[in-house]
Amino acid sequence: MKELFLSKDNYQKWIRTLSESVSLYAPVQKEDFLFYERITEENIDKVVLDTKRTIHPLKSFFTPAQRKVVEYFDSPLEPSGEKRIILGAKNCDLSALKISDSVYMGEKFGAEYKDPFYIQTRENTLIISSDCTLPDENCFCNLVGSKPFPEEGFDLNFSTLEEGFIVQVGSEKGEEFIKQYESFFTQIEEGMIKKREKKREKVLRILEKNNKEFKTKLPYRELIKESYDSPVWKEHSEACVDCGGCNQICPTCRCFLLFDVKKGEKYERFYLWDACLFTGFARVAGGANPRPLLYQRFSNRLFCKFYFFPENINLDACTGCGRCIAVCPGKIDMRKVFRDLAVERKIPVGFEDE
Amino acid sequence: MSNPYEPIKAEILEVITETPQIKTFVLKPEKDFGFEAGQFIQLTVPGVGEGPFTPSSSPYEKRKLEVTIMRVGKITSSLHTKKKGDFVGIRGPYGNKYPIEEWKGKEVLIVGGGVGLAPLRALFLALVHNIDDYKKIAFCYGAKTPQDIVYKESILKKWPDNFKGKVSFRVTVDAGDEKWKGRVGLVTTTLDGIDEEIKNIEESISVVCGPPIMMKFTTLKLLDVGYKPENIYLSMEKNMSCGIGKCGHCQLGKYLVCRDGPVFTYSQLKDIPAIWD
Repeated sequence: MKELFLSKDNYQKWIRTLSESVSLYAPVQKEDFLFYERITEENIDKVVLDTKRTIHPLKSFFTPAQRKVVEYFDSPLEPSGEKRIILGAKNCDLSALKISDSVYMGEKFGAEYKDPFYIQTRENTLIISSDCTLPDENCFCNLVGSKPFPEEGFDLNFSTLEEGFIVQVGSEKGEEFIKQYESFFTQIEEGMIKKREKKREKVLRILEKNNKEFKTKLPYRELIKESYDSPVWKEHSEACVDCGGCNQICPTCRCFLLFDVKKGEKYERFYLWDACLFTGFARVAGGANPRPLLYQRFSNRLFCKFYFFPENINLDACTGCGRCIAVCPGKIDMRKVFRDLAVERKIPVGFEDE
Repeated sequence: MSNPYEPIKAEILEVITETPQIKTFVLKPEKDFGFEAGQFIQLTVPGVGEGPFTPSSSPYEKRKLEVTIMRVGKITSSLHTKKKGDFVGIRGPYGNKYPIEEWKGKEVLIVGGGVGLAPLRALFLALVHNIDDYKKIAFCYGAKTPQDIVYKESILKKWPDNFKGKVSFRVTVDAGDEKWKGRVGLVTTTLDGIDEEIKNIEESISVVCGPPIMMKFTTLKLLDVGYKPENIYLSMEKNMSCGIGKCGHCQLGKYLVCRDGPVFTYSQLKDIPAIWD
């Protein structure tokens, strides 16, 4: 992959140029949190490329919480949507796009029926990711086989060094894009890559340390097998208030509902985020409900991530972003669920990688 | 690129009252709309909502299609107020079909309960269209009361008269009335002595559709009388929203009912927890 250097000064000039010419979205610091915002004169000074993931998952861009998909037997689809650049996405969000790509435009989930809204938004978006430099106590990408920096799935990736950024070109789209701004970039100098690797190593060590007590000898997708009747589900769901926050904030939770609204003599159909934690999620009109109890829905969410998706596309539908832990009013931590499933089966827990 | 969430219009040509709770709607889609027995459609009541239903008419009838619908929820209640000349929307067809080509030369046992007979009617009409391809068809059906029997005219008179010899009929009600001369008992009782109709149960195909509890006990009984799990076909009812493998509502173990079903064999499902709930 092609790699270039962007100095700090040039970075400032470059994002200013971008924000003036296209819709640029980037993480903006607000108190302790990062939020994606459209970048303008007002907030350009608050853009944060490194540290950690934003509050909102990247899915909000591609499958918004609500989207009109039908207007009285017609498609409201515009031939061309807004062109966007998303800057500063972390690898936990990029990995999640593999799941939504497979669902909305892949071969395994209704190949003949790809979602034109998703595809259009995806095509119109350029993704500039950046290395995670400061994972928080909820981050656990290392436990699900992922890394705090991306190796694929981006158009460009930024790695912060003291003197500027190493910019990695990850796609043809990225290559085409960067050509327009050639004058901002220079060749990488000796030792820069080494510095980046060292920084990345350091972040990996933070993650290893933070998650030492949760590390299980078997991967989650193995631990969850045969666990349907485990008491662990009931124990951990005792603190669950059924709010569905984990569903909404999860970058890979993709369940939705088609909801029709009357509009005069006509109607509109909306795509709405749904949540498998909600009582009525799988209930049929006749009243039958395969998961009437909270612990069943609680376990189902994790079965979806570590059984359903691995069986279907050989990928875990969890990227270790830890948002579900951060959002939960009951302080439920899925790392502890899996730790307890391991303990129950006498599988070693709590060690660092050799 | 086409929009998979967008239905086409279909005109209601006729509304047939089957029972106090069940009506059959004869629809004429504004564009060609073929389907295979077992597949489902998404039916829109404009402004009210959309739900999955299985056509009950013959797949060989290309100009129109029928859906038999019980009034239970918001969408079905609104649909029951619709009249001839009104419009609904349809998308599909979705999902897999009954693999009837693979059943050629075999005996086929159909077991339906209540309004669950709808997809089985489409299946039955597809089978009898090429009736010589099948060795024998045994048709078992159970309803709560004589009043609750759907397709009464066909089931009690027309079909038994038309397919004499090749098709046997056993119709039962949970509770009879003074006029009812037929069987009384749960639909599972129609399987007592089923070997009088089906000679080679080991090789025979069985197809079940009905309420979850009926599907459960019928399947257990079929296993009991000697049907192989891979020869028991079940139509699973789930609350498909998108119908096209994306929305997640109809997940069943590693399957999506809209994509991998709605027709499953019992051998595919038997190890999945809580399949009957």
